[in-house]
Amino acid sequence: MEFWESVRLNLASPPILFFALGLLSVLLRTDLRLPEPIYVGLSTYLLLAIGFKGGVALAEAGLREVWLPGLAAMALGTVIPLWCYAVLRLGLRLPAVDAAAIGAHYGSVSAVTFVTAVQYLRDLGVPFEGYASAFLAVMESPAIVVGVLLGRWATRHGGLTGREWRRLAHEALLGRSVFLLVGSLLAGVLCGRRGLEMTEGFFVTPFQGLLTLFLFEMGMVAARRLGDLRKVGPALAVFGVVMPVAHAVLGLWVGHWTGLSPGGAFLMGVLAASASYIAAPAAMRLALPEANPTLYLTASLAVTFPFNVTLGLPLYAQMVRWFLGGF
Amino acid sequence: MDGHSMTLVTVVCEALARTPLLELLRQLGIHGYTLFPVEGAGSKGDRPADIEEFGNIQVEIIVPEETARLLTERLAAEFLPRFAAIVYSTEVRVLRPEKFRPHQS
Repeated sequence: MEFWESVRLNLASPPILFFALGLLSVLLRTDLRLPEPIYVGLSTYLLLAIGFKGGVALAEAGLREVWLPGLAAMALGTVIPLWCYAVLRLGLRLPAVDAAAIGAHYGSVSAVTFVTAVQYLRDLGVPFEGYASAFLAVMESPAIVVGVLLGRWATRHGGLTGREWRRLAHEALLGRSVFLLVGSLLAGVLCGRRGLEMTEGFFVTPFQGLLTLFLFEMGMVAARRLGDLRKVGPALAVFGVVMPVAHAVLGLWVGHWTGLSPGGAFLMGVLAASASYIAAPAAMRLALPEANPTLYLTASLAVTFPFNVTLGLPLYAQMVRWFLGGF
Repeated sequence: MDGHSMTLVTVVCEALARTPLLELLRQLGIHGYTLFPVEGAGSKGDRPADIEEFGNIQVEIIVPEETARLLTERLAAEFLPRFAAIVYSTEVRVLRPEKFRPHQS
């Protein structure tokens, strides 16, 4: 398929069109606002649904197929913050603690970007490993821990006390999204195909519609932070676009080398490219409060997230076609 | 109104500061507070409250004057440098003052 054709296919899909509508509603200053519980409800639904479906696929594939790419996903999450830190320190001359916090965001992952990518593959009719949501679950935490350690080390606070370790571990491993994902993965593994058939009317059929509603809300959330772009400057905005592309290339090769299909390698690329905007900010506020939240939130939420779901996905799909010949 | 004089300390802060703030209250033996989500704008601009974690909370604490002084000192030293927050206090009159005295810590 032509590159521009796949861009058009992504941009003209319901989730992305409604994402744009959400952006527009804020930019045009309409009085539209969704109540905050909608955000919580929809994100819980999406995490439960992808976790559960991933768990069913995991039960069918067996751990033998999953452990190697799973381990590779964790390794990716661990090392991405390191070079992000170097680039931000040496290239952008950011303070150490900010570089560490931003690195944690880019090593960690965005579940919504992942879900949108899965839906995009379905649109294209490309097969992929259904258990890929297990990679999402294991990639959220490592970068957060690495980022906090980097920040602490760089600001000469020294290491963490036992109490701080416990708090950080709790924040990184038992954040809302990791808990929901891992829990519903396990539920999916235990129920198997039968469980999916029982819940199909809830977890499968309305999924695309609810994702669309969620992205509509995300469009508004991202647009409300566009104004902060002025505060963070153009260099960080460029970082927010260039790094995801580089990480996507790395991720899809890692996926390919660890035995995933082109569809699975694409998803690994998307995970590597995505940046966290819920779990990582929450952890950074508590563990690295000196870091400036405007920098990491704006980069991740106002630059990288919109880029990934609109132009990033078709670009990464095109890279899979170039490098792996798939799709 | 009849009643006993107490100090109402109000903290408006980012929702992510909730745990450290409640921990500080616990350390001072303060066992009662009221917490609600709020939104508004501050000296650094709008604070959109569209996502729970990025939202803002208001915590109201009614304590005797000397506890209030201790609390605001600790807030100024440990809390305000780290988190987006404002703190103010005012005199109030309460019924049943024993409900507002801190536990010995």
